[in-house]
Amino acid sequence: MALITSILTFIFITIVSVTGVYILTGLTGMFSLGQAAFMALGSYVSAIMVTKLGVPFIPACVIAVIVAVLIGFVVGLPTVRLRRDYISLVTLGFGEAITSLLNQATNLTGGASGFTGIPKITNIWIAGGSAIVCIVLAAYFKNSKYGRQCIAVRNDELAAKAMGINAPRVKMIAFLTSVAVTAFSGCLYAFFTTYVDPTLFGWKKSAEWIIMVFFGGSNSLTGSILGTFLLSGMPEVMRSLAEYRSVVYAVLVLLIINFKPSGLLGEWELTRRNIRALFHRRKPDDSNGNYTETSKEIANDGPTRS
Amino acid sequence: MQILINGIALGSVYALIATGFSLVFNVLKFSNFSHGALMTLSAFAGYFIAAQKGWGLVPTILTAVVTGALISLIGELVAFRRIIARKSSSEYFFVSSITLGALYEGLVTIKAGANFYNYPRFFKNATIQLGNWVVSTSDLLMFSISAIVLILLVYVLNKTRIGRGLRSVSFDFETAKLMGIDSTRAIQTAFLISGALAGLAGVFLGINYTLYPTLGGMVVKGFIASVIGGLGSFPGAILGALLLGMTETLLINFVGSGYSPVIIFFIMLAFLLIRPRGLAGSNVQEKA
Repeated sequence: MALITSILTFIFITIVSVTGVYILTGLTGMFSLGQAAFMALGSYVSAIMVTKLGVPFIPACVIAVIVAVLIGFVVGLPTVRLRRDYISLVTLGFGEAITSLLNQATNLTGGASGFTGIPKITNIWIAGGSAIVCIVLAAYFKNSKYGRQCIAVRNDELAAKAMGINAPRVKMIAFLTSVAVTAFSGCLYAFFTTYVDPTLFGWKKSAEWIIMVFFGGSNSLTGSILGTFLLSGMPEVMRSLAEYRSVVYAVLVLLIINFKPSGLLGEWELTRRNIRALFHRRKPDDSNGNYTETSKEIANDGPTRS
Repeated sequence: MQILINGIALGSVYALIATGFSLVFNVLKFSNFSHGALMTLSAFAGYFIAAQKGWGLVPTILTAVVTGALISLIGELVAFRRIIARKSSSEYFFVSSITLGALYEGLVTIKAGANFYNYPRFFKNATIQLGNWVVSTSDLLMFSISAIVLILLVYVLNKTRIGRGLRSVSFDFETAKLMGIDSTRAIQTAFLISGALAGLAGVFLGINYTLYPTLGGMVVKGFIASVIGGLGSFPGAILGALLLGMTETLLINFVGSGYSPVIIFFIMLAFLLIRPRGLAGSNVQEKA
């Protein structure tokens, strides 16, 4: 039972991180290969706050998220105006820089041997509750003005600009939101495992999250979360094959991208209307109409002020 | 002066990575993140064959280069062919290449474990006396082979039929196709050359450092070099790589190897703020 609880808690924490990645990658089409470094920032800052400065848990989380967002702003500033390739390259470099920084600042972070002695605060209820709150926030973000602008920018940046959307600003908002959510997942993580070390937050971790988003369907929040559930639950089920895990992951995703590029669920979202449609044995009404509808809405609104 | 020489040698390896990366970027307009893992994979292939058969340096390099090229071709077929045919947006290329990278790295980890390996010593003398300077043999070798390969590459791209085809496809995919250029062939060529360069760079990195499954992380240096030089530009990539190599050796000398990635990252950020087009200048905005 304890094992199942701990697996579930891990899955919930991963869901929080993936929600952040979804906002960035699924909605805006930007890829951050240093997303795990923001998780590291969240973990380390909150852990240092609590253990060395005696700040209570919740304010420590808030401070950690703010620090991560400020640093994210510096990282994002030069890149949001450029091609989307740059944000991947720059965040990849950022990840390397953070890892070496954590390894070097030994008396603050414990260096390569890791940061120990973090009190255990996160339990399954906190993790599950946070996951639900983050999912609701992300769903709200997707349906808000910003979410629709993000989708417009993702589909065609030039056209979005022509419609009056301030593309760099939208990209920055999406980036910072995702940084905040991911940093928060880092706080949860640190106070669950009570131990963090720099190797946990390499680019492989960020890549894994992106893979989860695409596995379930990069256009669908429901799909991304389903993907996370399946892919992070899978290694626990087949522990004997731990070595082959990343290979199995990769092959699965290559199959999906080649043969069902929109992911497991496509653009299907868990909404009341779609569930009803499911039970009435009708096809959900947005096999691919969802986005054209959204962009039409934006078009009808005239130039969106931002 | 000594530092400068080491820096140029290191920079020439970065130049191999950056050009290999730019080649695919130019043709398909996406960043190929499997490049690093491909380096690792071919470096390991070279290592295992060299260590088992007791071969010398030249066969090792050749094996790694051929492996890199072949795997890159297979990777194109498996991961990118259908996406290209479907004219999907660049996101799918991204995800495909990231996944491919994870796949390569997973395969290496299965075969080699998370251990460190050392290439056998290839040289009798670790250093060579050149006038007043002492140059390590491996540095000299890295520099000379990289220089030859890069000059050859520039020649092929600028003067031959294959190179012209490749450049026209990277300039305008559709028009090149209409003009009767076999675009699939051109893309395959780009992946082939890029894979071969990755193999070469992998062996050099393996000789210079040790061999371990996440060696591919070194590819970051190639990426930074191509960002500094201007994404997709060859002269820019080579220039950026040499500059980066020299800056890095200088930094390692003065502040130690721990903090140098941090400083290099800030240099790159500053560079992007001041001159986002890079040294050589390239298109930085998303085109329609």
